[in-house]
Amino acid sequence: MPASASTFEVGSELPTLKKTITQRQIDCYSGVRPKSIHTDVEWAKAKGFPAPLAQALMSTAYVSQMMVTWLGTGFIKGGKISASFIKPVIVGDTLTARAVIKSKENDGGRPRVTVECWCENQHGVKTLVGSASGFADQLRM
Amino acid sequence: MVEFKTISYEAVTVGEEFMSDDFLIKPEDVETFAFAVDDHDPWYFEDSPLEGTIAHPVLMGNQALFMRHGKYIVPAGLHAKMQYEFVEPIRVGMRVRTRGKLIDKYEKRGRHYMVTEFATRDEETGTVLVRGQFTQMLFPKSGVHEDARKR
Repeated sequence: MPASASTFEVGSELPTLKKTITQRQIDCYSGVRPKSIHTDVEWAKAKGFPAPLAQALMSTAYVSQMMVTWLGTGFIKGGKISASFIKPVIVGDTLTARAVIKSKENDGGRPRVTVECWCENQHGVKTLVGSASGFADQLRM
Repeated sequence: MVEFKTISYEAVTVGEEFMSDDFLIKPEDVETFAFAVDDHDPWYFEDSPLEGTIAHPVLMGNQALFMRHGKYIVPAGLHAKMQYEFVEPIRVGMRVRTRGKLIDKYEKRGRHYMVTEFATRDEETGTVLVRGQFTQMLFPKSGVHEDARKR
C-alpha cells in the first residue's frame, strides 16, 4: 500500500520515482571536463565502461526527492541518508527509486521514520541500497 | 602555493584535513541542479514553509566529494558510500564551504578505500548545514578494477 498521511504503516511503500538519465543532465551535475568517466565518452571507454557513468551521488538526489516530497520540513531539517553504491549507472539508464517504511521511533520527542531505500535500473538491477530517515510530524502528502 | 600530488592509497594519511573553496550559491546553481536531477519542487523556486525558498538538501554534495581535488590530482575514482545528515536548509545567497578529515583508509578484496567525514557550513554564520561521511575507492594506476565495470 502506498504511504501517505493517512497510511503510515511499517511495510508501506512510498510512491516511486523514475528517472531516465541523459548526458546533458550528467554534464550539468558533474561539470564537463576532459578525462572524466562522467563526461568524456572516450575516456570512459578507455577505462573499460561502455559509456559515461552517471555520478553515483545523483542517485542520492532521487532518494532526497522522495523524502522531501513525503516528509517535507521533517527531512530538510533532520533528515538522513545512508547509501551504498553497488553498481554503476550508465548514461541512458532508467532508474526507479523506491522506499519502504522500515521503522518509526521516538527521537527527542519527535517521530522519526526510517525507510529502506534503493534504486534499480531498467534491468531490475539494484544500483543503490541504503536507508533514509526524517521527522514525520509534518507530513507533506 | 599548493603542490599537487597524484592521489594514491600510500599518499593519503588518516587524520589529514581537507577544505573546499568557498562557494556563493546562486539562483542558476539551483536551477542547474534541478535540471540535472529532474527535481523542480516549488520549495526551491517559489516558496517553502521555511521562511522563503530553499535549495535541494544534497546540492553541495560535490563540494564535499571534490575537497581532495584541492590537494591531489585525482585521475578517477568510484564513490562507494555516502552518509548525509541535513541540519539546516541551504539557501541561495549563502556562501558555503566544506571542511573534512580523512578518518580511515583500508584495503578490501584488493581494492583501496578512503573514508572522509565532512561538514558544510554557511561561512557567514558558521552554521552547519549538512554533515556526513563518504567512502571513495581509489583506482589503481593501471585503470579500473575489472569487476567495478560489471553491471
